[in-house]
Amino acid sequence: MAFKVDKQTLDDLNIPGKYKGDSIFNLFDHTRSRGGGQLLESMFQHPLSDAEAINIRSSIFQYFQEREIEFPVSRDQCEEVEQYLSSAGSNNMAGTTLMIMRKKMLRTIASGKEYDAIHDGILSMIGFIHAVNDFFTQLGSHLFQYPYRETIREVKQTFSDAGLRQLLAEPATARLPVAKVIKYHHLLRTVHQQSLRRVLQVLYETDVYIAVSRVARERKFTYAWATPFVEGGNRIDIAHVFHPRLGGAVPNTVRLDHGCNMIFLTGANMAGKSTFMKSVGIAVYLAHMGFPIAAEGMAFSVQDGMYTSINVADNLDKGYSHFYAEVLRVKEVAEEVSRGQNLVIIFDELFKGTNVKDAYDATVAVTAAFAENRNSAFIISTHITEAGDTLQEQYANMKFVYFPTIMDKGIPRYTFRLQEGISSDRHGMMIIANEGILDIIRGKVAI
Amino acid sequence: MAFIIDKQTLDDLNIIGKRRGDAIYSLFNKTQTRGGAQVLEEMFLYPLSDRDKINQRSGIIKYFQQKNIAFPFKNEAFDAIELYLENTDERTKLAAEEDTLQRKLRGYMGADTGYEVLHKGVVAAIEVFNCLHDFLREMDGGDRAGAYRLEAREMQALLADEQLTWMYGEKGSRKLAYARTAKYDQVLRFAARDKMKKLLYYIYQMDVYISIARVAAARGFTFARALETKENTLSIEGMFHPLLTNPVSNSLQVDRSSNVIFLTGANMAGKSTFMKTLGIAMFLAHMGFPVPAGSMEFSVRSGMFTTINLADNLNMGYSHFYAEVLRLKKVAEQVSRTEDLFVIFDELFRGTNVKDAYDATVAVTEAFAEKRNCTFIISTHIIEAGETLRDKCDNINFVYFPTFMKGNIPGYTYQLTPGITNDRHGMMIINNLRIIDIIKSRRHHLKLV
Repeated sequence: MAFKVDKQTLDDLNIPGKYKGDSIFNLFDHTRSRGGGQLLESMFQHPLSDAEAINIRSSIFQYFQEREIEFPVSRDQCEEVEQYLSSAGSNNMAGTTLMIMRKKMLRTIASGKEYDAIHDGILSMIGFIHAVNDFFTQLGSHLFQYPYRETIREVKQTFSDAGLRQLLAEPATARLPVAKVIKYHHLLRTVHQQSLRRVLQVLYETDVYIAVSRVARERKFTYAWATPFVEGGNRIDIAHVFHPRLGGAVPNTVRLDHGCNMIFLTGANMAGKSTFMKSVGIAVYLAHMGFPIAAEGMAFSVQDGMYTSINVADNLDKGYSHFYAEVLRVKEVAEEVSRGQNLVIIFDELFKGTNVKDAYDATVAVTAAFAENRNSAFIISTHITEAGDTLQEQYANMKFVYFPTIMDKGIPRYTFRLQEGISSDRHGMMIIANEGILDIIRGKVAI
Repeated sequence: MAFIIDKQTLDDLNIIGKRRGDAIYSLFNKTQTRGGAQVLEEMFLYPLSDRDKINQRSGIIKYFQQKNIAFPFKNEAFDAIELYLENTDERTKLAAEEDTLQRKLRGYMGADTGYEVLHKGVVAAIEVFNCLHDFLREMDGGDRAGAYRLEAREMQALLADEQLTWMYGEKGSRKLAYARTAKYDQVLRFAARDKMKKLLYYIYQMDVYISIARVAAARGFTFARALETKENTLSIEGMFHPLLTNPVSNSLQVDRSSNVIFLTGANMAGKSTFMKTLGIAMFLAHMGFPVPAGSMEFSVRSGMFTTINLADNLNMGYSHFYAEVLRLKKVAEQVSRTEDLFVIFDELFRGTNVKDAYDATVAVTEAFAEKRNCTFIISTHIIEAGETLRDKCDNINFVYFPTFMKGNIPGYTYQLTPGITNDRHGMMIINNLRIIDIIKSRRHHLKLV
């Protein structure tokens, strides 16, 4: 079963989006080939749900991260190879001969371009095979206890074929005689087409590994260790997590497990609540992809899915209020939880669209009910600090943390560092006083 | 002095609109001529703050509406005239002595486009001004023109100028001889150019008045009556949002003893729409335009500030709360500097914790309430603030939009009701959707498995 997320969650965390400059996908998308980019996209669309698969993938990334390996071919070269391999071919030698002779004739009589296209295609294939063969030979030389070894052995198998070895002996710049064009075309397009496609596929994978691990190296990302989910042994443990998109982001540590499966978060608006929640959400998602995460370390048990509610939009077209939209979202998540799923759930400022008494009651009731599902992990933030006071007395499995605000000569400043407890900041009034708003209204200040 | 308004207010009320399609401006933008659209835009950019000017303009629009007068001119003529009058290049001036055989030949061959354009312009001018002449004659030179008589008389005077009297002899002409075209051209484009421009401007204004009168009639708008500023009263009945399909109408009375309106209610119950509607009505009223209401009387204000959709400016590192405080400061400065403002704040202080928001709402509302010559509309979710303010100030009008339950789904009357809301439908919705039960049902689930 796949790791379940919905569109709202992906949007909240800004994970997919090739055409959105600041998405998490774009952070990692430094692939050099189109195929690599597509593969990366598909990895983002299908996070893993098997601890072993996650750990294998992350160990491959780690391997590449430890070594600076350059991707051997350029984007153009990949395109040329793709194009050549998908051009028209014939099933047997005779057919190929006939076709090429005809094209050659056409070139002589009517300056047809097709013969040249095939000729150049073969030349770029030769260049490509040279580069890839060298690359995998070099890569294979220091592979020992490494899960990617089998794949690479397979590639080398392909290149050890006698026909292809002959190609490797050919310099990539010479003009080929017709006889060789026929021979090689047959070899590449018919005999080895499948295995060459497979080589290309492996190369795309390598492209992703190199691109992603380079980002990880530059940004000092680390890898999470996944364990299978065991009843009662649920845990998400992230040391010094930060937002991968923010430079100089302040890291914070999170620990959620069976004994303490809910974090109740308070703090002023700019103090860092949303960023923290997004950072955790992104780390959980990337960890389930086996990708490097923006943290110093992470260990987690594999979850069934994740739901966040960080920017619930009013759906005015449907006539929903903010409050109603939020309630429907909570209901959706509640249904998932009741299905026995083990989820990571992140709610930012629940019930902000209603009056204070309602919001208080609703926050207490919903939070308390959720917290009893010990197999799911929750992070809930609110402005209603009173709700925290009430919950604190009743529940031992909730952790109360907040982001403090410090007044620095009348200007609010934020540490962005989590502290234990419930926020008791009253800086709102202080800011109003500092700006002298009441005096201005009353005309006591000359402007 | 101009009516003070800022970009935030124009955006909140969607007056000009980023996308032109759904703004208040485009609601009225039904002018026949391009020049009319420009005049209309000017009116939107500069609302009035002078009682007489407001009443004068609304009187004229009302006159056109009552008489049900249609725009008497043909549209195509204006494009030709505009193009023609724009061309003030002396070198294009026609000279009678150039009426040579060569020119005639070129004319027959259709190669003399320069002359064609000028000829067309002259013919169009003759047609338009003859039409205006007839139109004014029907009004008896303005004597029967009601509120429009001043403008009608001025136009009449311009048309009676001896420089232009030849036009009435050429009425209906479609083709003019070269010599005469040259003569008329000299007058229209050069000698009497300023008069032409003035007359055209009057015609564009008329276009605006007529199109607005039509919009008003079609949408059931009425004309507001502007009162003296110092009274600080507003009486508006059957007010509705002009861009909604099935709007509910509401009424409001404001005077010096109730110049703060404290508005509560659930989120979809109609608070923002009400505030926007009120803002739009005030804006249109200050333009002398018909308003979306059954009736309206208002003291002329010196400006209006609304804060309905305040954007976070996260790039500049402002939180929502800080953005609100800065906005509040700006308005506070205006309030202390200028008298007679109309101020709207939707959900003050939503970006901070509840205790802070409560304190801030009470303190700020109390301070505003002392300014009896300004009107304030303030909405909030913090109903407790309302109860405290009730004891502290005697000039606050408490109103709310109620919510009722329609099965599981909240329904709204959209009718403004006196008092402070005590709706507790939030929990009711949660209970009705059985959310707590759903969450708790998991354990049974596991036992069954």
